[in-house]
Amino acid sequence: MSAEGDATDAERPVVLAVDDEPRITQSFDIWLDGYEVLTAMSGEEALSAVSDRVDVVLLDRHMPGMSGDEVLEQIRERDVSPRVAMITGVEPDFDIVEMPFDDYVEKPVGPEEVADTVDGLLDRTTYDERIGELETVAGKIALLEDTYTDAELEDHERFTELVERRDRLRREADELLADLDSGEFEQIMSDF
Amino acid sequence: MGTNAQSESFADRAFFETLVQKGSDAIITIDTEDEIQFANEATERVLGHDPEELVGESLTTIMPERFHGAHRTAIETYLETGERTLDWSDIELPAEHADGHEIEVSITFEEYEHEGTKLFSGIIRDISDRKERERQLKQQTEQLERFASAVSHDLRSPLQTAKSTLAVARATDDESALDELDDLFDRMDELIDDVLALATQGQAVDDTESVSLERVARDAWSVAGDDDVTLTVDSARIEADPERLRTLFENLFGNARDHGDADAIRVETLSGGFVVADDGTGLDQVDEDKLFDFGYTKSESGTGIGLNIVETVANAHGWRVEVGESDEGGARFAFHEVESQ
Repeated sequence: MSAEGDATDAERPVVLAVDDEPRITQSFDIWLDGYEVLTAMSGEEALSAVSDRVDVVLLDRHMPGMSGDEVLEQIRERDVSPRVAMITGVEPDFDIVEMPFDDYVEKPVGPEEVADTVDGLLDRTTYDERIGELETVAGKIALLEDTYTDAELEDHERFTELVERRDRLRREADELLADLDSGEFEQIMSDF
Repeated sequence: MGTNAQSESFADRAFFETLVQKGSDAIITIDTEDEIQFANEATERVLGHDPEELVGESLTTIMPERFHGAHRTAIETYLETGERTLDWSDIELPAEHADGHEIEVSITFEEYEHEGTKLFSGIIRDISDRKERERQLKQQTEQLERFASAVSHDLRSPLQTAKSTLAVARATDDESALDELDDLFDRMDELIDDVLALATQGQAVDDTESVSLERVARDAWSVAGDDDVTLTVDSARIEADPERLRTLFENLFGNARDHGDADAIRVETLSGGFVVADDGTGLDQVDEDKLFDFGYTKSESGTGIGLNIVETVANAHGWRVEVGESDEGGARFAFHEVESQ
């Protein structure tokens, strides 16, 4: 048993894994040692399972019935604030600019990626809200840059707006970080 | 030498006049006041203007209004400073036809002195066809990009399931997980077959023959049919590539059976076409705009390629596809032979 395994249920972070393939959520449960993993096989199940207790949601996009995109919207309308990562086979397009997720990971993923994604999102809850947003926006820009050519990106107003938002958030973060001690500062900045 | 005599005849004024007048490109000459001094015969064909009537007009007569100001400024700037606001060689601009519609042209300007007057000539080529081909090519490229992204998605998902299933099998010694892996590999194999089919079905049909609708439909039924579902087929002959027509039927039958819960499927003739209709759940829940898109599916087991193949086969034959509801509330696909012009 790992050290984390000794933690009581109350202390273990809670992850909700949502995918219509039960083997996928089962594997996330196996890979996320030291976490309490709840699973849901549909959007509807996910919405009944999500609560104050849930720290991180790993959410598939294409599911029969309610899609992951709809689940994400509905979670954001509720009075709960889990971090949400989309884990999906869908190649990102410009739609992701408006999607209110915190992270976006393309399938297939293995144990390390799943654990890193969850850890990354849990770390964010300790930062200022704006730094979390900066990470999300920077992540979206990186995804789009991986998918599209520079010329295609320049053509898209939404992408340009995203870059402007990142730059603004970065300036705000710089101001914020100036007040932190150097240890915290380096820990946060190593993510960018 | 005999060649000298020939050269002289080519230097003849009449020869050059013919060359300029009869070419396929419009040639229009203006002076420094932007007044048209000459327009060749081809001007009528390209721009619809009688060349005689253009003489004395401004060159802006053949330009859409939004370019008038820029054109005048460009001439003034050039005459004052010698600076060219545009490249003079093969610039692509819209021109205005005499009947008011815009046409895409390429223009090359030349400047020279003629009998002591500075003149500018524009050689104007209609490039509408080339532009149309460029648009088609762009569309095809975009389609290919969507195709590639859909294929990658459709392979990534089962790959994730396989990876996860393997992890579960290792962690739990669950033998059934290994059987599932086998099924997943079959699914990926099927997907690859579908993708390959789509790539080959899209090629234009060269050899059509008169084929029996009934025979081809029954052939397809032997592969894609089901004992619980009945098939009725009108007997008729149509002009088609039998192999590809069979692929079309297989995909429609498979859809009706698996996703439409149909009990009966009918293949009927139309004047100039045929219909495949069923008594299943129909297409109420689907997005008709996306119906034929690659990878669009409402089902778990489907690859979302079937109807894309159907459309591709229809297009390759030059058939128009009409989607609707059958009399029994099921799906109805009508294929119309489009009269060639």
